[in-house]
Amino acid sequence: MLTITVNGKKREVHSPDSTPLLYVLRDELDVNSPQFGCGLAQCGACSVLLDGQEIRSCISSVSMAAGKEVTTIEGLSARWAKQKSLSPDQAAKTLHPVQEAWIEQQVPLCGFCQSGMMIKATELLESKPNPNVDEIKSAFTDSGPSAHLCRCGSYVAIIEAVRYASTIMAKGGSK
Amino acid sequence: MIDMTQQTADIFGAQLSRRSLMKTGGVLAVGFAFLRGGAARAATETGVNAFDPSMPESWIEIRPDNTVLFRTGKSDFGQGTVYTAYRQIVAEELDMPFSSITTVVVADTDATPDGGGTFDLLGHGMPNIRKAAAYTRQAILQLASDRLGVPKDQLSTSDGIVSGGGKHVAYGDLVKGESLKLTIPVSGDLMSIGGLNVGGNPPLKPVSQYKVIGKSFKNSAVSSKVTGQEAWVTNVKLPGMLHARAIHPATVGSKLVAAGKVDAKRFPNTKVVVKGDLVAVVGPTEWEAIQASYQVAKDTKWTPWKGLPGNAKLFQHLRQDADWKAVPVNKSRESRGDVPAGMQSATKVLTATYELPYMKHAPIGPTVAVADYRPDGTVTVHAHTQNAQALRGQLAMMLGTSPVNVVVKTYAGAGHYGRSNGGNAGAEDEAVLLSKELGKPVRMQWMRNDDMQWSTNSPAAFSDIKIGLNANGKIAAYDADHYMPAGQDDRPIGAILAGLPTMAAPSEKGGWIDSIANGSSDPWLYESTPNLAERFHGTYQVGQKSSPLAVGLRDHSMRTPSQYQQNYPRECAISEAAALAGADPLQFRLDHAKDERLIHVLERLKAESGWQPRPSPQPKATKMGAAVVRGRGVSAMLRGGGYWACAVEIAITPATGAIKVEKYTIAVDVGIIINPEQLTRQVQGGAVMGISEALYEEVAFDEGAITASDWMSYPILKMGEIPEIKVVLVNRPEVGMYAQGSEGANALAAPAITAAVFDATGVPVRRLPLRSAYLKDMLKA
Ligand code: FES
Ligand code: FES
Repeated sequence: MLTITVNGKKREVHSPDSTPLLYVLRDELDVNSPQFGCGLAQCGACSVLLDGQEIRSCISSVSMAAGKEVTTIEGLSARWAKQKSLSPDQAAKTLHPVQEAWIEQQVPLCGFCQSGMMIKATELLESKPNPNVDEIKSAFTDSGPSAHLCRCGSYVAIIEAVRYASTIMAKGGSK
Repeated sequence: MIDMTQQTADIFGAQLSRRSLMKTGGVLAVGFAFLRGGAARAATETGVNAFDPSMPESWIEIRPDNTVLFRTGKSDFGQGTVYTAYRQIVAEELDMPFSSITTVVVADTDATPDGGGTFDLLGHGMPNIRKAAAYTRQAILQLASDRLGVPKDQLSTSDGIVSGGGKHVAYGDLVKGESLKLTIPVSGDLMSIGGLNVGGNPPLKPVSQYKVIGKSFKNSAVSSKVTGQEAWVTNVKLPGMLHARAIHPATVGSKLVAAGKVDAKRFPNTKVVVKGDLVAVVGPTEWEAIQASYQVAKDTKWTPWKGLPGNAKLFQHLRQDADWKAVPVNKSRESRGDVPAGMQSATKVLTATYELPYMKHAPIGPTVAVADYRPDGTVTVHAHTQNAQALRGQLAMMLGTSPVNVVVKTYAGAGHYGRSNGGNAGAEDEAVLLSKELGKPVRMQWMRNDDMQWSTNSPAAFSDIKIGLNANGKIAAYDADHYMPAGQDDRPIGAILAGLPTMAAPSEKGGWIDSIANGSSDPWLYESTPNLAERFHGTYQVGQKSSPLAVGLRDHSMRTPSQYQQNYPRECAISEAAALAGADPLQFRLDHAKDERLIHVLERLKAESGWQPRPSPQPKATKMGAAVVRGRGVSAMLRGGGYWACAVEIAITPATGAIKVEKYTIAVDVGIIINPEQLTRQVQGGAVMGISEALYEEVAFDEGAITASDWMSYPILKMGEIPEIKVVLVNRPEVGMYAQGSEGANALAAPAITAAVFDATGVPVRRLPLRSAYLKDMLKA
């Protein structure tokens, strides 16, 4: 049996070690935001952060995550609260700037790809707080095992939202 | 309990009845009754009560706290319409603030009233929900008149309050302690693609008084999706649920010889289920089911079959072998004049053939459904469908049971752009059959390759177009033959494979939806054309007749269905005709337009895209060399009451065929704009999909099967490849109606980009997609 940390909580895993993290998160741990899109590391619908780095959970066995920290969009607000040392009270009322930007900019169309998109955006902004449009495009196109694909065509909205999130972050959050 | 019908009143053909309740609470609920004729048809064909008796059977409910719930049989596929525009329409017609419309219930066979496919959501300006709300406001006025003792015509409404004669009453106060039911007239067939339609003509709010429509309200579903709270179809988990993976046939004509066996040592809890040619592996966990399905698939034997032309010979097959005589040729309504005489008088003639490949809806998530079949013969299906009622009908037909035994619940899922507007998206019927067989809830999840290879396709098509120009460079005659196989096959694939009843395959005997006939979908725009002939030829789906499974390459409507296949050749040809006339392609369109809205949208496009008039090809056009050469193109469309015009700029390297779309501008006149921000996002999304289709999309298939199986073999546009996209919204409240707002943007990309390739190189490219490898060859030829 393995123990992994998901969104700040230690979770015991009973699935075999070779099970892809995606199915462990969704089916065993009930963490449902990463989606099955291709199972081939070709789309990014299943992306999660592993110690702050985006990985494709559909091809990464759960054993890879042993002793590491997995973050999904369910854990984004807490991640931000911790980074900003917010009080539990404030934390409960706070969205991660990426989530706030995604709402303000009305990014999701069907939204199926957007969990992975927000994970990518978070990874990008944590390493590059003020990315320009070309850097954003490059992060979503060339930086991982494949580009992050959106069939509904939300790319324009994503670029605008990453820029918007960057300005929220620069102000230290929205409040 | 007091239960006393006090009165009924006629409200513009609707019936209002009331009962006083002792208790607090109360509601005005809006239900429906069939119009004469419609009732008989619905009763015989469906025999269905659309509602669970425990649910209030209503369209709209006004509650004592002055909030409103509404229900719609339509679902959300990424348009957001049911959560934004529909809310705004209901608020507007009820004369309430947007914030009062607190609850939206969508697309559940037993909890929503009207059904019908989720497309044309704004119903050419008259969606069901608008009339339902308009009737409701009239009922409110009647109730207020009774309560206040003021005649109806002296009452007015605002922000959920009725005023008149110096008195006021909130809507919510009118329903307190009452059970009010407004019955409105409907007609239609609940489980058809169109569903039910609200009848009559209740007074509508004048456009000049709109307060809610026209503002950018946020989509409530966005917040839940962004915070991980959304109830996605992928999240449905039932106690004891098993995970299934399908093993689909080796080709679209293969019959099962023998199903493989599960390696029981490796997968002790997994089994194979076989029903006819339907093979599936079912296990307790997803990963075990996936691994076992790979193992079993390797050992499963199918008969060989070769009955497809392969995509290299597709157009040769369509032109020479396909049977275009099985159904009559249709002509467009706009066809007119004497085309042969017009051609004879022409000083120049363009003759061209345009070819469009099969394309995929290609949702980012493959189809998935959970079915729970009970020993009493009822089944509940958790799905992501554009037409829950039609899906119910298909599943009931497959099971040989009454539709009352089938409940479909709709959840958010990956958008699939028309694929399920007739009911199924792929996995639902397979989930039901497996759940019935095993007596347990079953989750059927297609893998990426299943979704690429066993879902329906946007049909391939080709068109022969001839345009004669007179001495003034104006169109003297336009002659077009459009050829396309049947475009809508709604048969559930699992039912076909299992040999169970389905609706008939598309044929010459079919009706509006399942006929193989082809018809006009692209309204003619260039009104000053004196002689016009547009003919539409239909045939069976490729492989449908020879496949022992009777499936072949199954087609289905996809974003801008069949208009895409007709608008592309027309707009390409119009651009080429402009070049032949030595005219600027945008001005050429203006010169042939008479419709004021078309002219206006073209003028706006011209201004907003910085269009400088000149003929194509551009002066430095070349089809050779390793240097980048630039070009631009334009296209236009009338769709569902909306006018669209698009201009693109491209850069191409002739030696390599490398192409980049650099700028995309689109002007959109959909009449009244309900929600500018949502419309802009839809248009941007459509633009990206359209550029993707133009540059990349083509379903590869060989002589037996679709060979495209993933995102490498069916590439779509990536973020790094998008151009600057400029959306110009043209708000025209004086039009008095709202039209649909996302499809034009995707259809117009390809003809504009194709025209831009011609502008840059001087070579007319008359096919899609414009992949570099094709372009390189075509420029060399
Ligand atoms: S599902 Fe993992 S990359 Fe597509
Ligand atoms: S929003 Fe639908 S796939 Fe990206």
